[in-house]
Amino acid sequence: MSHDVIMPALGMAQDSGLLVSWFKQSGDAVAIGDALFEVETDKATMEVEAQHAGFLTQVAAKSGDEVPVGQVIAVIAASQDAAVPIASVAEEQPPQFAAKEDALPEGQSIIMPALGMTQDTGLLVNWLKQPGDAVSADEVLFEVETDKSTMEVTAGVDGFVAALLAAAGEDVPVGHDVAIISSAKPETLMQRTRGDVPTPAAAPSLPATQSPVAPPPGDLKRTEKRQLQPKSSRILASPKTRRLAYERGLDLQKLVEAGHVQPYHVSDLAALQNISADTPVSIAAPALRRLTAKISAVPFGEIMSFVSEKSSGPTAGAVISGLAAGAWASGGSDLIVAYRHFSTTQLFSNPHGIGLGKALPDQANVEAQLLINDLRQSAISSIENCSDGLPTLTILSQGDQFSFTFECGAGQISADAALSFLTEFAGRMEQPLRHLL
Amino acid sequence: MSPTNPKNNSDEYLRMFRQMVRIRCFEDQANQLYLSAKMPGLTHMYSGEEAVAVGICEALKVTDKITSTHRGHGHCVAKGADFKQMFCELLGKEEGYCRGKGGSMHIADQSNGNLGANAIVGGSMGIATGSALSAKRLGRDDVTVCFFGDGATAQGLMYEVMNMAALWTLPVIYACENNGYSEYTRTDEIAAGSITARAEAFGIEAFKVDGQDVLAVNDLAQKLVARCRKGEGPFFIELETYRYHGHHVGDINREYYRAKDEEKQWHETRDPIKNFGKWLTDEGLSTQEDLEAIQAEIKADAATAVAYALEAKYPDATEVDMHVFVETA
Amino acid sequence: MREITLSTAVNEAIAEEMRRDETIFLIGEDVAEAGTPFKITSGLVEEFGTDRVIDTPIAEPGFMGIAVGAAMTGSRPIVDLMFGDFIFLIMDQLCNQAAKTHYMSGGKLNVPLVLRTNMGATRRSAAQHSQSLHAIVAHIPGLKVAMPSSALEAKGLLKTAIRDNNPVVIFEDKLMYQDKAEVPEGELLIPFGVANVKREGSDITLVGTSSMVQVAEKAAEILAAEGISAEVIDPRTIVPLDMDTINTSVRKTSRCIVIDEGHQSFGITSEIASRIMEQSFYHLDGPVIRMGAMDVPIPFSPALEDITVPTPEGVVAVARRLMAGEMINVS
Repeated sequence: MSHDVIMPALGMAQDSGLLVSWFKQSGDAVAIGDALFEVETDKATMEVEAQHAGFLTQVAAKSGDEVPVGQVIAVIAASQDAAVPIASVAEEQPPQFAAKEDALPEGQSIIMPALGMTQDTGLLVNWLKQPGDAVSADEVLFEVETDKSTMEVTAGVDGFVAALLAAAGEDVPVGHDVAIISSAKPETLMQRTRGDVPTPAAAPSLPATQSPVAPPPGDLKRTEKRQLQPKSSRILASPKTRRLAYERGLDLQKLVEAGHVQPYHVSDLAALQNISADTPVSIAAPALRRLTAKISAVPFGEIMSFVSEKSSGPTAGAVISGLAAGAWASGGSDLIVAYRHFSTTQLFSNPHGIGLGKALPDQANVEAQLLINDLRQSAISSIENCSDGLPTLTILSQGDQFSFTFECGAGQISADAALSFLTEFAGRMEQPLRHLL
Repeated sequence: MSPTNPKNNSDEYLRMFRQMVRIRCFEDQANQLYLSAKMPGLTHMYSGEEAVAVGICEALKVTDKITSTHRGHGHCVAKGADFKQMFCELLGKEEGYCRGKGGSMHIADQSNGNLGANAIVGGSMGIATGSALSAKRLGRDDVTVCFFGDGATAQGLMYEVMNMAALWTLPVIYACENNGYSEYTRTDEIAAGSITARAEAFGIEAFKVDGQDVLAVNDLAQKLVARCRKGEGPFFIELETYRYHGHHVGDINREYYRAKDEEKQWHETRDPIKNFGKWLTDEGLSTQEDLEAIQAEIKADAATAVAYALEAKYPDATEVDMHVFVETA
Repeated sequence: MREITLSTAVNEAIAEEMRRDETIFLIGEDVAEAGTPFKITSGLVEEFGTDRVIDTPIAEPGFMGIAVGAAMTGSRPIVDLMFGDFIFLIMDQLCNQAAKTHYMSGGKLNVPLVLRTNMGATRRSAAQHSQSLHAIVAHIPGLKVAMPSSALEAKGLLKTAIRDNNPVVIFEDKLMYQDKAEVPEGELLIPFGVANVKREGSDITLVGTSSMVQVAEKAAEILAAEGISAEVIDPRTIVPLDMDTINTSVRKTSRCIVIDEGHQSFGITSEIASRIMEQSFYHLDGPVIRMGAMDVPIPFSPALEDITVPTPEGVVAVARRLMAGEMINVS
């Protein structure tokens, strides 16, 4: 019956021992208690004795080898017929590298793991193991850079790195193979980049053994720089307040806007309830500005009669939009006016706000900034809330007067500007000739 | 060795021999478990001190109690423990004496009266004394033996409890296994004066005996146990003995505190098993072949038990928070 | 109903149990003729004899270890530790041996032992005789911890402790031994792990242990006059701890102060406050405030000693601020 000779446990903190020398050779007879070999430990050199009698065979470590505790380094056989020798730890040839076109080595495929909801690829930052290295399941195998941070990915299986299939710096789609870990020490290794392989290697599916590891706390400094979203200013409120506000559909921000002092407690919810009841929930119906003006229609009427006798004279729309543009404080830029008369709308361009408006072709791809509703000849006598989003100037006739109604959203034009515009427009419509020339 | 009546007690003598061999085989296996990196944690070898545990425990009944130390496998085996359950406990397996929850240093075998090994040096002295108090109060004739080492004589607890044991005449025997070393330091560097005098200072009768002579130990133990049952306790014994291994299994390079020559000397001239074996054959109570057969048989038993324990299952994860409290009905 | 002192309640509990079960014995310093310096066990040695009421030398580790061994071998000892401060002397026997024996033996060995000791400052006994160390003991798995807040609990919890098969540590407040409370005649067993709502309220929960229950009750009276309704809860046992009752209360009131005579930092209040935060987070309208004794060794001078422990006025001040929604930084 044969017995293993192992590198014994040597002391509390030691995982391996340096085999200094053998006292017996392969084939020698040994008795119990004979010194077999010498080991160097942290503290001293010690002799290891034979625990059994027999003949020393299958010597698998030589002088100078660092042998892990527990590893079998020889066998004491009952008889002298030696069995098949096993490869010596240090006599192994260094493993060969396979050609890149060769078939992949046997083993467990390691993939680029899923990294986050919107990420399809990960940038492989660097490898922490090289082909041929032993690796255990919870050791870090490689690092990946994502949107937010750099993550460490563990091997997930014990074994040896048989192949690396992507190089540091390459982008790898989620689910694609990046490495192969074999259970036994591989004889041939492979190292490739993704550029070496024209087609992707594996279908993107996660094996159960592997999951990405969250960056350890020490990495926090590195990851913080990559935060994209800025911190929002927090509202201080008790957990119960937040919960009740959420349950009741109330927005604590309103308390902030209303000037309530933080932190908020449940007793503040009554006030919040009141604020929310006052303001209607709908987003539409912004505040409207509405200005009206009345002027004599006579001067404009005289000019238009004079102009209409000429065949190439300007249209009313051109005149009115030109006057409107002149009244609009557009800072010298073009004011596009939509002039609506009866049921047709004509766009006019009014560069620099000087002179007459220039009619634009129908297909012109411009947005009007001002709508002029010319209702002089209509039966409409007054309007209110009749703008559909654009600042709207409506011209109505009332006897020998014009009634102008200008409406716009509070957010579109300031109160001052609105006043100024209508005043100016009214003034120009009273003395059109002067302003057109 | 001078037993009173050799021929009548041959069964008992062979039993003593077997028990010492059992201890030695157990420790050899345990040591191998450690060296082959199969044992979690550390353990402390009793090899060399077999006669102390066996000599004393052979004088005790099953219902008598012992408390043990971190070097407790010897006491455990000597008090009747089973190999399989002991190995299972050392490996943290479910079938261990403590369901794997105590390990080597807290191994307890309650059904055989072993109140447990203790990882605190001197930590079980109070427990042993309390056990004796229970026996006396509840009208039982149990005797409690408190095993401890020479190192424990440095602990204050020892003096507190010896004082009370003496005041209340408790049936407890304090057995000091003086193996010459307190961890990595020689006893004469850690214990001033005389060890037995310490007990005598409390008026406790104290005895010295050669701890490697199982018959001498047993003889003395029998006398003192009988006297304890009559209410004459407590007593103190100092047993001179030797541990072959280091303080714990990882203490392999120990020449810096203990000479190899000294170890060799004890192995060759003071080995309790060899010497008792020689006595048995000299007295015609057994033969060399029979003794060797016994040793081989026990060695095989131990090997089988270890193999069993290595394959045995670990406790289920759900046991981790069991036995924190006794469930009150 | 009759009223008896806490001291008498303890005496009754021990006597009744010792009559019922002869494996029970009492051990400690001066427990026999002297009846302890607090005169709690007077009369017991006369009834049960020196076999069962055992005076020891001044050797705390020694008699604690003996008690552990006795408990492991069929006896049920009640250990009297004269001052809670001496717990530090017996930590190995209490925490390494008694607490762990059942577990380390895989459930085979029991330690049915009761350690009776005391706590509480303001007795002018200075730093080494005034400590409240229940948090240190509560931290060790395997030990149960009871804290009677009056004569009623002192009797009921002690009897339950004696019948429990686990090591139990009971802390009596040494300043309460002469305080009276209503204690019914006859059998009285208060279960472990059941808190007592001593006063109902709706605005704020006050959790107090031992004599801090009285502090909380006085604070509740003062607050009631200001229109604040405080609920007072006495957990009675720290291990096991009844969080259900505490959580129910906090979810009702949404505010809580935990008051205990252990030190402010790393103690009972921190544990209870943490658990409330974890378990009732979304019901809190303010932080859970801890009020313990100051983090100083208890001073001798009365002028200094009295300000180191929580008082009803102190509790009231904190409660007012909580009700007003102020940010409180107790640290």
